[in-house]
Amino acid sequence: MAEIMIPIGPQHPALKEPVNFKVFAEGEIITRLELDLSYNHRGIEKAAESRDFTRVVPLLERICGICSHSHTTNFVKGVEEAMGVTPPPRAQYIRTLIAELERLHSHMLWLGVGGHEIGFNTLLMWTWRDREDIQDTLEEMTGNRVNYGTNKVGGVRRDLTQDQIDRAHKRFDTLEERFQGYAEMATQNPTIRERFQGVGKLTREQALALGTVGPTARASGVDSDIRRDDPYCAYPDVKFQVVTEESGDVFGRTLVRVREMMESLKICRQLLADLPEGPIAAKAPRTAPKADVISRYEAPRGELVHTILTDGSDHVARLDIRTPTLANWTSVAASLPGAHLADIPVVVAAIDPCLSCTSRVTVVDIHGRKPASYSWDELRAWGIDRHAGRRRRS
Amino acid sequence: MDALSTLFYALVFPGFLFLASLALLFQYVDRKVVARVQGRIGPPLLQPLADFVKLLGKEVISPEGSDSRVLSAAPLVALAAVFAAFLLMPVLGPSPLGFTGDLPVALYLLTLPTVIMLVVGFASKSAYTSLGGARAVTLLFIYEVPFYLALLAPAIAAGSWSMGAIVEWQSANGLLVLSQPLALAVALVGLQAKLERAPFDIAEAETELIAGPWTELTGRRLAVMRLSFDAALVAGCVLVALLFLGGGALPGDPHPYWLVAVAVVLLKAFLVALVLIVVRAAFGRLRVDQFSSFGWRVLAPAAVLQVFVVLVTVGGGWP
Amino acid sequence: MKVKRRVATEALRTLQVGPATIRYPFEKVAVPEGFRGRITVDSEHCIGCSKCAIVCATFCITMVPDEREVETAGGKTITRKKRPEVRLFDCIRCGLCEDACPTDPKAIYLSTKFAGSSASREEVVR
Repeated sequence: MAEIMIPIGPQHPALKEPVNFKVFAEGEIITRLELDLSYNHRGIEKAAESRDFTRVVPLLERICGICSHSHTTNFVKGVEEAMGVTPPPRAQYIRTLIAELERLHSHMLWLGVGGHEIGFNTLLMWTWRDREDIQDTLEEMTGNRVNYGTNKVGGVRRDLTQDQIDRAHKRFDTLEERFQGYAEMATQNPTIRERFQGVGKLTREQALALGTVGPTARASGVDSDIRRDDPYCAYPDVKFQVVTEESGDVFGRTLVRVREMMESLKICRQLLADLPEGPIAAKAPRTAPKADVISRYEAPRGELVHTILTDGSDHVARLDIRTPTLANWTSVAASLPGAHLADIPVVVAAIDPCLSCTSRVTVVDIHGRKPASYSWDELRAWGIDRHAGRRRRS
Repeated sequence: MDALSTLFYALVFPGFLFLASLALLFQYVDRKVVARVQGRIGPPLLQPLADFVKLLGKEVISPEGSDSRVLSAAPLVALAAVFAAFLLMPVLGPSPLGFTGDLPVALYLLTLPTVIMLVVGFASKSAYTSLGGARAVTLLFIYEVPFYLALLAPAIAAGSWSMGAIVEWQSANGLLVLSQPLALAVALVGLQAKLERAPFDIAEAETELIAGPWTELTGRRLAVMRLSFDAALVAGCVLVALLFLGGGALPGDPHPYWLVAVAVVLLKAFLVALVLIVVRAAFGRLRVDQFSSFGWRVLAPAAVLQVFVVLVTVGGGWP
Repeated sequence: MKVKRRVATEALRTLQVGPATIRYPFEKVAVPEGFRGRITVDSEHCIGCSKCAIVCATFCITMVPDEREVETAGGKTITRKKRPEVRLFDCIRCGLCEDACPTDPKAIYLSTKFAGSSASREEVVR
């Protein structure tokens, strides 16, 4: 059969956010694919440069709905390091609690989406129904289901009341039981096993070479978790396991995420039990001294890196955000050729893509088949050139 | 039967209008049960009718380069095929349009919608639809033979190709579900695949091919095509109820009053439909190659085995 | 088959417990205290310091002239010259304005109202 080009995206039922795969397939087998990201580019890194440290936090929160706390915590702890400010222990615990709750709801969401990608909508409905418990907890504690507005430089903005803590404990008990159920269901349902096992295989060497992070890498046997390797916030005080699998396929990633949910629940319980008393924020100065900070964080999707350059003023000089999804896209491109068409949504969903986080500009030269990247000056020159050309033509 | 009552039989009851209403009713039950299992409320009773009427009013768009006459005609052909198949079935008692050999004719007519899907797939000139149409026919090759074999088994046991005769035979010799459970199982799987329902909705895989061959059907065409598949669900369930569950006959009464017969057939068909609906809610979708391996490793041998068993018990051959 | 039992038990449990859907607006949801609802300006307590307009993340607060005698928390009575007007469609409910407001009780705060629609423009845009 001749090679046909099937456009997956930018609008497609399998994708929650726009991305463009041009898939070339012979029959049902994929021969190659071309990846086109950056449909969701909104100029956030540039916008962050003109806002001071108080105002920039809500902006960064809205990079993504599901990893919003990751972005703000990562940024705020980087700035605190630049300023030399230490948040009080209660603030660290609250930050970590919200972070783990975010991981929980993100993995639950993923489980539902994974079911949806193979047409198992029942699993989607059930997991998202129980995810509402986590969302209710977050709403009680922070006032919102996503974009929590918890962080500020120096600490957190809201405290937890005893009532909220008690209600959270009760919900955790129900959730633990439901998680067990979903773990069994997800790992033993015949269609899930058929569609997930052996699909999207990534060996450990490939994962390391391609820079894969998060549950995608851990499912290929890469034992790396920023919470343990480079601890931050309250993670030094809690005990938890880093979950790895050896299979490297989508089923392995399912197992990793499901077990990570159980671990997160354990962490949440420990945090609530040991919550220290005290203030919830330290006084932070208005400006940050000249500094060059790299802040790392284990987001639900993997390692999130913020590079923050401050210059003594009340805003950042440069902010660079490297999200885990951006690191994981190459693994998709590497594991899809040779797979079935039907595996595309499964493999793409398995890295848990968050395209709103991804869009930083990379150029792939499809004619020369060589990836390249533009420096800031080159990009600026190219942009001016292009728009000048437009004006000349119009 | 004179011309006027035949016309009434074909167009109103139990023909076109009756079958169309049943199709919408079965769609409602399908969506409601699945919704409740999933923890949702589900649509109200008239929703399928509302969807149908709404679709009739929508704009019909033909993709560039597609054959718009084919795309308009194809859904009507599918609808006609399913209705013709249903008219052959002994729903009120022996069908006035039935004849010896109406079972294979009904089966062939019920295969037409899938072939229409292939035609629509290629006529729509889109990557998604061609792939979907190709998949629909690939599946057809895999499940159709076991499906036919599974429905051949009751015919062999009853010694006739006529659906009415098979129903009659069961009143005297016991329901075929008891003596040929394997055939029933294979028939149900085949029916689920024919109707493109999970776990076999591979041709229209929403997350892979948008909607497969259905992608470029719009407005009236989509309304009619959907109606034909819903009617196929009814026809398929009635067929299974006739061949395996004794049709309109009651335990003590092989020829009840026609109203009772209709109610009984529908009840049995409804039970069959419930099984199909629950299976749809409980599984994800298979891949084409996985379905292929399932079909050749499990489905075909089971069907062949069942036919072999029946041949041996009946004593070798039919008249 | 074990898995069939798992899915079957869950399905039966769901059928028994009933749908998870909340039939809004016939059933109402209890909104927790501290919910980030619509921004409300309490004109009685505002002293017109403009801190909220300065700190707003989306620049959606403008100070409009509105003279009024206001009693501060300290017991004094002052004449304030302006008060904030919020463009509700631009507000992202971050609550920075509420944090910055120096009065007690807060003159600008996030209420628990979430229903955004109304028949009158005044209610929605102000």
